[in-house]
Amino acid sequence: MNIKQIAEKAGVSVATVSRVLNHPESVAVKTREKIQKIIDEEEYTPNWFAQGLNFNKTKTIGLVIPHTLNSTYMEIANGVEEVARQKGYITFMCNMEGNPELEKEYIDQLVNRKVDGIILLYSLGLDDEYTEWIDELDMPVVTIGESKIKADWDSVKVDNRAAMAEITSYMLECGHRRIGVLRGTDPEAETMYMLQGFRNVMKASGIRVEEKMIFDVGDNIEGGYIGMKKMIGVLPKLPDAVITTGDEIAYGAMDAIKEMGYRIPEDIAITGFGNDRMSTLVEPKLTTVELPYRKMGIYGARVLFDHIEEKEQKKKHVTRSIKLQAKSRIRKSCGHEGRIGEMF
Amino acid sequence: MLKTDFLGMKLDNPVMIAAGPWNRDGKGIKESIEAGAGAVVTESIVSDTLLDVRPRISCDDKGAQNIRLYSDIQIEGWEREMDIAKSAGGVVIASVSGHTASEVAYLASKLEKFGADAIELSVSNPAVESLEVVASHADVVYEMTKEIVTAVKIPVIAKLSQNTTNISKVAKAVKDAGGSGVTAINTVRGILGVDIENAAPMLSTYGGISGEYIRPLGLASVATIAQTVDIPICGVGGISEYKHALEYIMLGASAVQVGTAVMLEGREVIRKIVQDLEIWAQNHHISTLSELRGKALENLKSFEEMKFEPAVSHSSGVPCGENCSKCISACMYQAISRKGGQISVDRTRCTGCGLCTFICPANMLKLDL
Repeated sequence: MNIKQIAEKAGVSVATVSRVLNHPESVAVKTREKIQKIIDEEEYTPNWFAQGLNFNKTKTIGLVIPHTLNSTYMEIANGVEEVARQKGYITFMCNMEGNPELEKEYIDQLVNRKVDGIILLYSLGLDDEYTEWIDELDMPVVTIGESKIKADWDSVKVDNRAAMAEITSYMLECGHRRIGVLRGTDPEAETMYMLQGFRNVMKASGIRVEEKMIFDVGDNIEGGYIGMKKMIGVLPKLPDAVITTGDEIAYGAMDAIKEMGYRIPEDIAITGFGNDRMSTLVEPKLTTVELPYRKMGIYGARVLFDHIEEKEQKKKHVTRSIKLQAKSRIRKSCGHEGRIGEMF
Repeated sequence: MLKTDFLGMKLDNPVMIAAGPWNRDGKGIKESIEAGAGAVVTESIVSDTLLDVRPRISCDDKGAQNIRLYSDIQIEGWEREMDIAKSAGGVVIASVSGHTASEVAYLASKLEKFGADAIELSVSNPAVESLEVVASHADVVYEMTKEIVTAVKIPVIAKLSQNTTNISKVAKAVKDAGGSGVTAINTVRGILGVDIENAAPMLSTYGGISGEYIRPLGLASVATIAQTVDIPICGVGGISEYKHALEYIMLGASAVQVGTAVMLEGREVIRKIVQDLEIWAQNHHISTLSELRGKALENLKSFEEMKFEPAVSHSSGVPCGENCSKCISACMYQAISRKGGQISVDRTRCTGCGLCTFICPANMLKLDL
């Protein structure tokens, strides 16, 4: 059945059916319900391709992610997709494999395929010339997470600096003074802010940060394992505690600490970042920072669709920046006393 | 006679149905409106729906405890629900909750677009976050209220919590941020009871206590805010009959909300409260309820203003027909005795504490000079 037949059956004009499909808010409730009922009964689905020709819309969005191996990106993608699906859109997911050139190539491709908008997850950084080109195309873009992009695009961010500062303060409260850092680089801008948060708190507390205690490591269990072994190997004395920029790094480090015969948190306390599922399954349970991944995706998609709708309705676009909250999850690995911290 | 102007919204009466699962979707809200509520507050709408804890509501004869009651409909779906909710008219206030100012402001701006008449910022749910509810931090409440006020044109109300050391400070922050009003109070962190045979609390985590248990706390909070901050107040906590509504109004509330009574007795309780209010107002020749607003505050002094009068208890002199000795057992100063049918108070022993005047089922004892 096509739109014309739906209209005939409902005894309304084709334009009214079209409005129910595209701007339901502009149709009186009773009329809309009646038409929707027929649409549902007939299992009518609009021809999106034809629609694209009519409204210059393809009902597709692009989502460019750093790589597929990190499960947190999948959680963000899940949030994006949930909103997109509700809006009747499908999402093209492109995996840039940590390669800035590939990021641009994918954006080019998405533009060629006439997506209605693009979400960039932890963008590796697009130069001004490139972002200006996107702006000239009038393509709605949202960035999720920190990036070096200077363009005035909608964004969704979590204050990682504050989150890491909170965790660092907590470690100091637990009595740790010689604190090492295992810093991953994925995503780079995020871990840079985390390190700043760490440094700020140490400085404010009058504790000198020993640069030789900060190690750049791979963003995975192996990276954490190797980094931890290196740290213990080069330092004349064990660190009181180690702060990591990712849960996986922390798991690797915990493995190394145990293997070398030390105890967590008695000899070395440790924290992660991300609060992935495993963090409560390791022994001792990992103190970490919970990030609202799904919510980041949901908001990324929400502000993107807001922009797409504004464009469609020829309304002025106002840049939106959504800030979400990270939350410390205090568990045994940081060496706190008492149970209350674990619960609250 | 009950018509009320609350923050510029024209309400048929000042009795609203509070945020909660009974207003979880358009259909529920519509039913709440049809039950005669002056306005209806949606269940709290959040950024992302969460799985519900099961079980999450317990109750006894004085109230209830709940664990996290948030809307399970995403903001996208509320466009449709608001449409249904308002299809037969009525005033709908959208309750929003979140962790950051930009989150709640985003939700608020969407709900304004979908037709909400006002926003109620819920930052005082004691069951979710931690020992500290957001509403105990005046600075965070300020920041959130301000960002919502910037994002929308409709009135913004913040729902405050008794779980704070100084509720006036938080109400002041709402006013300073440009908020139009406050709702007081949200549920209070608690545990309803323990099954002693199984050593198990009635629910498996802390929750928000509502109902009769919290009415005295709600009344005090409303009175305190009314005495210290010039901001319209919506009173909530333990209202199940018209008298309670009048108590809140007389202590400074412009409107009231009913939640737990609706949950436990159904929406019909609203119709009854509204009807009884009307009858009471008629009998007392009240032309508009606003005449009563804050009336009891005139008789509510701060401790510093209390006068130390040498009042003592005094029996009415009529023989006591009650077959009890409540006043005698309760008198901590051994001032009351019974001789046959006669209750007598030893005025030299009585220190005027007043307890006997409240405990006597026949109202036979009075305090006077």
